[in-house]
Amino acid sequence: MAAADSIIEVENVVTRFGAQTVHDGVSFSIRRGELVGLIGSSGTGKSVLLREMIGLSRPTGGAIRVFGTDVWAAPADELAAMRRRFGMMFQDGALFSSLDVAHNVAVPLMEHTDLAPDFLWPLVRLRIALAGLPPDAGAKMPSELSGGMRKRAAIARALALEPEAIFLDEPTSGLDPITARAFDRLVRFLVDDLGITIVIVTHDLDTLLTVVDRVIVLANGKVIGDGPVKEVMVLDDPWVRSYFSVRTMAQGTGERGDHGT
Amino acid sequence: MLHSTAVTDTSDSGGSGRWVELENAARGAILHLSGEWRLASLTAIQHALRAVPNSDPVVSVEGGALTALDTAGALSLLRHLRSLAIDPATVDFAGFAPAHRRVIEVVMDNSLSDATSDPRVHRRNAIAALGVQTESLGRLMAGHLNFFGYVAAGFARMIMHPRNLRLHELAAQFKQVGISAIPVVSLVTFLIGVVFAYLLGLQAERYGASIFVVDGVAIGMAREFSPILVAVIIAGRSGAAFTAQLGTMKLTEETDAIRALGLSPMDVLVLPRVIALVVALPLLVFVGDVMSNLGAMAMAVATLDLTASSYIERLSLALTTRHLAVGLWKAPVFALFISVIGIRMGMSVNRDTRAIGINTTSTVVQGIVSVILLDALFAVILQELDI
Repeated sequence: MAAADSIIEVENVVTRFGAQTVHDGVSFSIRRGELVGLIGSSGTGKSVLLREMIGLSRPTGGAIRVFGTDVWAAPADELAAMRRRFGMMFQDGALFSSLDVAHNVAVPLMEHTDLAPDFLWPLVRLRIALAGLPPDAGAKMPSELSGGMRKRAAIARALALEPEAIFLDEPTSGLDPITARAFDRLVRFLVDDLGITIVIVTHDLDTLLTVVDRVIVLANGKVIGDGPVKEVMVLDDPWVRSYFSVRTMAQGTGERGDHGT
Repeated sequence: MLHSTAVTDTSDSGGSGRWVELENAARGAILHLSGEWRLASLTAIQHALRAVPNSDPVVSVEGGALTALDTAGALSLLRHLRSLAIDPATVDFAGFAPAHRRVIEVVMDNSLSDATSDPRVHRRNAIAALGVQTESLGRLMAGHLNFFGYVAAGFARMIMHPRNLRLHELAAQFKQVGISAIPVVSLVTFLIGVVFAYLLGLQAERYGASIFVVDGVAIGMAREFSPILVAVIIAGRSGAAFTAQLGTMKLTEETDAIRALGLSPMDVLVLPRVIALVVALPLLVFVGDVMSNLGAMAMAVATLDLTASSYIERLSLALTTRHLAVGLWKAPVFALFISVIGIRMGMSVNRDTRAIGINTTSTVVQGIVSVILLDALFAVILQELDI
């Protein structure tokens, strides 16, 4: 393993909420330029793990290193510097509702850079375009956007500071399949063309099967599978089997429907 | 780190300078890029770009010496070329690492539309702002009137079909807006009674008329101060709560769910709140009447040489049912306004969490202003009727 290449290392993480143990020794590492999917049934603590990686929730035990910074032992200024190097997209976008899309994207730039307005706004427009939004979306308020556009606007904001990594929490949930697949292509484009490392928490099988490089499966507080989708699919675990069998069934009916028309 | 922007105008492409160097070749100018073209060093990069001397049109950009290039860096380069009236598509990007070349292409594809202008803050002049505000106030009032009509119609329907009254919800609301408000109402009116008795006592004592403090406090509190104070407290407490509750329910589509289940939000949400507050407020005003007199009595006994029994005796003479009734009759009217405003402001929250905050603030302001205005109106009417 090229240890120098891994930018996120999760080591033996334990998380307990009261008597309930969510993570019981979770370990994995993520290398630069990977697109990793984090899956598991509801309640296996995928989103909790994501929050622990970006320093929002504290694990009960273990260590998490992002860009070599120990998230839960680093001094505040080092943590702040580390946070500037990744972007986070929350489930429903978490856009600032009092600001239009352009200002939402501009907030991190205004806060952390001293760009002149004549470059700041073109850069904001570039971000909005990279996220696949039409140019006029910048002037819209978050409440005027559809679900898919909100998520794209959140991606644009996550891209603002040229992150080396982006964390996505269920990016395709609540989107129609066409919008969801377009979003998958956007994610793939960010990895392939801009060299960004991406970690996705998802339930979406299509995302896993079409764009993700590597899948990490959480169950019973542990990592039970870690590898390319094809390898993980055939794991001998009841949850993994039923999860991927849903897909096979859906594909069966889908193909019949296609032939019927 | 120092930003040494050595710009050499030589054919020496050895790369002693940072960021960018110009080379005048036979076929045109060539820009040699070097270093980390990242967002973090963008100010220095743009400075270096501006310092590049005028030359023949740039025909080629050499990026072999770049150690990093992000989209902000690429955008700086492309904008520099465009500012020289050079179409980046005609420029030869040579020697770039494949990843860097891809970044250039991506940015070129996505930064063509400079059509939309930068966001600008719109400032209206004072007169236009006054007009806009007046118009929106007018629309707000019309909306309130409209909603008041709905509530009245809903109430009439409920009178016809009393079974539609949700007793359970009504009781829960009554507890929230009435019973739970007793401590704060008691505390505030007790203290006002104390202060009132003290201030009146200072004056009355000089004329040896200490006993008339009872008249002043009892009549003043019962007719004016208790209804106003309690209504203002409740406008802040329950009016704001109505807006926040219903606004949140609107955002989480609970009100739509109620409708979809064949229930009427009017019966389930609106009427129980209105009725609960209309019933609760007079009762709270009565609590205020009692507590303010207790406060005044405590103060009178402590500082004015009155006994508790002489206070109560005087109270029974001074405070006629008429005075008490005036205060108690105002309260339901205040309650109607507070609840209708609070509920409508909650129901008019739309899609946006920010609106809950704005509407809640507005509810409190409207509630308090309407209570004061109504009270002034009552004062005039009662004066004319000689009550």
